[in-house]
Amino acid sequence: MDSTMPAGAPLPTPPSGMRSLSARVLEGLSEAVVVTGTASPGGTRQIVHAVNPAGERLLPGLVAGRPVEHAGHDEFTAAVVGGAASFEAVVHGRSLAARAQVLDDPRTGDVLTCWYLRDVTEERLGSRSLHRAQARAQFLAEAGRALHGVLHLDRTLRTAVTLAAGVLAPTVLVLLSDGSDTVRWVRAQDGTRAVSGKLPRTELRAAPRLAEALSDDVPVDPWVTLELTDLPVWGGATPDGPITVVPVPGTIVRGVLVLVDDASDAPDGADDDRWPLAQEYAVRVGTALSAAALYREQAHLGEVLQGSLEPPPLPQGVDGLVLGSAYRPARESLRVGGDFYEVLPVTTAGQTPFLLGDVCGKGIEAAVLSGRVRQSLHALRLVERDPAVLLALLNEALLDAADLDAAGAPSVPRFATMVLGDALPAPDGSVRLRLATGGHPPPYVLRADGTVEEVPVSGTLVGALRDADFGGTEVVLGPGDTCLLYSDGVTEARGGPRGRDFFGEERLESALAGCAGAPAPVICERVLQLLTEWLAGQDHDDVALLALQAPAGPARGGEVSAPRLGLVRDAGSAGGGGRTEAA
Amino acid sequence: MSAPADPAPLAGAADLAAVREDYLDRLAASDEQGAVAVALAAVDAGHDTEDVLLDVIAEAQREVGERWAAGTWSVVQEHIATHISERVVAAVSRHRPAGGPTGVGRIAVACLDGEWHGLPARLLAEVLVRHGWEVSYLGSSVPAAQVAMHLNAAGPDVVAVSSSLPSRLPAARRVVEACRATGTPVLAGGPAFGPDGEWARSVGADGWAPDARAAVALLDSPSLTGDQDAVTVDDTSREEQALLQGRRGELVAGVASRLRDEPSEELTDDLGHLVDFLAAAVYVDDAGLLARFVRWIGSVVVPGGLTGDEVGRALDELATRLGDSPRTTALIRSDAVREACAGLREGTTEGSA
Repeated sequence: MDSTMPAGAPLPTPPSGMRSLSARVLEGLSEAVVVTGTASPGGTRQIVHAVNPAGERLLPGLVAGRPVEHAGHDEFTAAVVGGAASFEAVVHGRSLAARAQVLDDPRTGDVLTCWYLRDVTEERLGSRSLHRAQARAQFLAEAGRALHGVLHLDRTLRTAVTLAAGVLAPTVLVLLSDGSDTVRWVRAQDGTRAVSGKLPRTELRAAPRLAEALSDDVPVDPWVTLELTDLPVWGGATPDGPITVVPVPGTIVRGVLVLVDDASDAPDGADDDRWPLAQEYAVRVGTALSAAALYREQAHLGEVLQGSLEPPPLPQGVDGLVLGSAYRPARESLRVGGDFYEVLPVTTAGQTPFLLGDVCGKGIEAAVLSGRVRQSLHALRLVERDPAVLLALLNEALLDAADLDAAGAPSVPRFATMVLGDALPAPDGSVRLRLATGGHPPPYVLRADGTVEEVPVSGTLVGALRDADFGGTEVVLGPGDTCLLYSDGVTEARGGPRGRDFFGEERLESALAGCAGAPAPVICERVLQLLTEWLAGQDHDDVALLALQAPAGPARGGEVSAPRLGLVRDAGSAGGGGRTEAA
Repeated sequence: MSAPADPAPLAGAADLAAVREDYLDRLAASDEQGAVAVALAAVDAGHDTEDVLLDVIAEAQREVGERWAAGTWSVVQEHIATHISERVVAAVSRHRPAGGPTGVGRIAVACLDGEWHGLPARLLAEVLVRHGWEVSYLGSSVPAAQVAMHLNAAGPDVVAVSSSLPSRLPAARRVVEACRATGTPVLAGGPAFGPDGEWARSVGADGWAPDARAAVALLDSPSLTGDQDAVTVDDTSREEQALLQGRRGELVAGVASRLRDEPSEELTDDLGHLVDFLAAAVYVDDAGLLARFVRWIGSVVVPGGLTGDEVGRALDELATRLGDSPRTTALIRSDAVREACAGLREGTTEGSA
């Protein structure tokens, strides 16, 4: 080991005993040490005075006694000449860090610098990969949040490319197939808005491997390809860099994630942990896209069913009759409930049939029964017009259906209360109403002068008893008179100053009296508004209102009645507050 | 589609003011056909459809609201006028149909849950359609859950919410949260969000527009991103607001009986509003909101309703009953609210002198 201190490279004038002692101490150190200083006292030329075996390993070729630059370690030379307190360098693939300790020799006045060097390769590598792993985990976590907050297919696609552009590659493209003849694509470049489009599946003939990934389960393994440059998805900027395809797995939809690098700036080999990241990302994108696609199917199903159960829009332009309605189901996000109303188109006999009812129960089960009631009535109307007889027939139909149901679904609600009838406008501007009711609160008539009357009609619950009794009556509405049908969700709404009082008949009557002169839609809107204020945000039952009005006479506004009617009767958008119109 | 006869000399602002007067007269007479005729004539005379919608119909409705607040019009009259204006908007829209969407973007327009004044949102929807937007008008009083469903079903680029009442601010926050989950920005509009939109920022909306034209301009700007640091809604907001809402009935009844031996329905109505605005002020943590309401209720004439003198006493009563809610009591006792109450008392004295 003595040979590491070659002869002819003496440290400047130390006593020989000291020299050998320090040389031996240095040799035994596991820490790398290099001593530098001027070649002669007061000189400027820096030489290596000593280097121990550990030091030689980190700075190979360094020999004591030679000028500091002789082994070609530029960072080391610069640090020594510049008098730095520390330096870092990469030598033959190893990272090293060094700090300087200045050693004054008070006896000789020489200034030596002792460099302690450390191999920090593993540390640096560790912290860099840790940093990368953290960045990866953060990217995936953020991606997961952003992707799964969206249940809309196109938005999910846009999010998927926007998140990845600039992270996985400068340009990112996603192609998605739902098994149909067209393939959706969305492309984003770092920092720009996503662009999207569709292309016929036949365009993929030139790219068989891609086509396979879009139609079959393939492993999420990336591959580099040239076969995509001709696809009409690049918006004129055909990529010139390497293109990598990562399959996006999915259950309902399948896709591919396409990463396009710049030709000039192709990533070096050290960046290859990009692929595991891209694969992980593709899996997440696939889950999010499948969830969105599944939601789309379910939502469509729900919407179609909901549409068939919602109160249908009021008919437009019924001559001699003004209509208004309002509807607020208890579970508002469901938009349907156990209350229902409907006004059918004018019959050939000039009558406008209508009904308003309430099945027991709430929510979707109640809505299904209300749909059955309406459909049964549509069919029964083909053979019978008289409201009271219709109710009796409906009663039979519901009881028969309940018998059929009994085996399968005993928990389905079966009873309903309702008012049904028809309206026949007369040439003198009045409207004759025929009404029948089963178990339902009797309608009100608001006369043009503000008087409020309850229509005396009653009957038993529909769908409960074979020998039920349904009352029928007739009402004549003079010009400006209104008949209001309502569900018990109105009168039984709990609220008010104490928060637990019923809205009640009396309040409804005075609300109506205050509406004298208002068109039918405004009356419904006003009652609903008062009711909402009464509830003050508390839960409520389904609420339905239907107003039938004989148009006010021609006196008001000084217009002739016929053209005026043409505008007023346009009741389709009426009942402004109602959920029906809102949806 | 027929060319206007002589557009140039007619299409002036002064002229629109005259049209508006005419239109208001028709509203006052509950004359739907007349109101439609006035609006369509203005369009035919060469006025821009958007100007007719905003400077005639929207402005006239603002005047209607003021007449109601001043007590010259009844609620039902206001409702009839609004109903007529809705019909007029529909008629104008049929008369001059908008072109199809131009790819500017897709937007959902909705009134907040509990907001029944749908006309401003309806007008915004009409104007946006005319600027090439693909608009889904969700209607009046739309629960946040329904907005969330729409986000997933339709995936709009932006959601615009409208409300006239600050008591709807918690509903606004719920919509913002639903939209944030999908990364959809929210544009807020209407008096509910304060004179300068400060409460839109408080609930985390990404933008605020005082009127339909400003909304269109804001939506034209490339990025619509709110400042999440400006959000003032926190756990205390939610707790104390929920408590106020839950105890609303009891508080109103209790305070009413302390103010008068036989409280009128108008008084309990007004006290209900007072509690609602207090809850809204607590929710966004802004005493200014309550102070504004205090000044406003002092300016509105409702026979039998809360008088200027009673407002301060009612608030003191509420503070006593809400001792467990630190933000609520601090807000009631804030300088801003005290000054507003003091102003009312002076106003009352001057008025009676």
